[in-house]
Amino acid sequence: MGDLKMSKVLEQLKLLILTGIIILIGQRIGFGNEIVASIPGMIIVIIISQVALILKAMFPKVKLPTFAYATIIPFLLSMPFMPTADWILSTTGNVQFLGTTTPILAFAGLSVGSKLGVLKKLSWRIVIVAFAAFIGTFFGSAIIAQIVLSIQGII
Amino acid sequence: MAEDKKMFSPALIKGFVTVFIIVIISELIGINSFPVGIATVTLLPMLYAVIIGMLVTPGLLGKVVPGLKKLVDKEVVEFAAPMVMITLLPLGVKYGTLVGPNVVKIIQAGPAFILQELGNVATIFVALPIALLLGLKREAVGASVSICREVTLGIMGDKYGIDSPEGTGTLGTYLVGTVFGTIFFGLLGSFSLATGLHPLALAMASGMGSGSMMTAASSSLAASVDPALSDTVLAYAATSNMLTGVTGLYVVLFISIPLVNKLYDILEPIIGRGGKDNG
Repeated sequence: MGDLKMSKVLEQLKLLILTGIIILIGQRIGFGNEIVASIPGMIIVIIISQVALILKAMFPKVKLPTFAYATIIPFLLSMPFMPTADWILSTTGNVQFLGTTTPILAFAGLSVGSKLGVLKKLSWRIVIVAFAAFIGTFFGSAIIAQIVLSIQGII
Repeated sequence: MAEDKKMFSPALIKGFVTVFIIVIISELIGINSFPVGIATVTLLPMLYAVIIGMLVTPGLLGKVVPGLKKLVDKEVVEFAAPMVMITLLPLGVKYGTLVGPNVVKIIQAGPAFILQELGNVATIFVALPIALLLGLKREAVGASVSICREVTLGIMGDKYGIDSPEGTGTLGTYLVGTVFGTIFFGLLGSFSLATGLHPLALAMASGMGSGSMMTAASSSLAASVDPALSDTVLAYAATSNMLTGVTGLYVVLFISIPLVNKLYDILEPIIGRGGKDNG
């Protein structure tokens, strides 16, 4: 068992609630979702996120990122044969998928802005090679997937 | 994080106020789609958010706009890094609710999911020749071994040392991905439909072991396809990303590193720029 401190849990919960508020207001502007109607779904999203953080802290030896825990719990709860499926899907349905992405990328932008200086020092050639690497991975996987999915008759 | 005795530290307040403003501006701009040649590019609020976020940091606009540094200071930048992990969790929950209902479809597509993991090796065939033509030496091996996320960085650092030429190459691709990855894949996600590849194949390709890159690629892809298909696109991408999380380490260790070295030995004498060493 890992180290689980109440103060740390409360600190994380505070950050999650503030994030939740930003998502609720953001998706009101972007998608027109009523804030009050979306609160129950957001509470469930926050609780699952917090449980993921607690599980990560409790089992430090398990090499799973917290993100994986956050994905696995609702995955299990929303499988078609689970009694919780309808409930979890209808409540969290009020939280927009795209609405949750905007604050992440805002924080990501803030945290990498300072790294632009480091990039400037590297050769411009590495930037081109990196983009080539991204394209290679993306289309390499896409072409194999296209072939196998066609053979299977799925697409 | 918990060292601060106050309920709301200045960095926390400034950080959330900054992000709140960025989110409002980004959502007000909203989703924009426009044709570029034969493709349609979809710009999502998250793309504006990452660009505005980068711009307002002290090193960029903060230098030029006097008052900005008071809100977005170094502490905010430091506060932002761990916040990325926290804010990813609600997205993770949403991904889970997209994968769960599609579990049967995903199991049916199992063989495709597993085999497309090998597509990550294609990186080497595309990026290594380009790196050699540009005159890179052993840096080319590190830069083109994979898309160089944290796992690869760890393996390469362990094998060659992070300040070796190979390590520098890997670090280079890692940094380019960290800074430009979401913008690049956000555009590629919708643009790639013009290739004629099926949205579900492109969705699988979007999961390459980076949560933010997968989100950027699959969200813009999902926003550009038939709405009936968009949930499946997101579910496929999230599943493929989880799978890469499991297999990625072994593919890099046992396939990619030996392969990139072999190919380097073959190609370097032919297309490598002799003599000039880029240390």
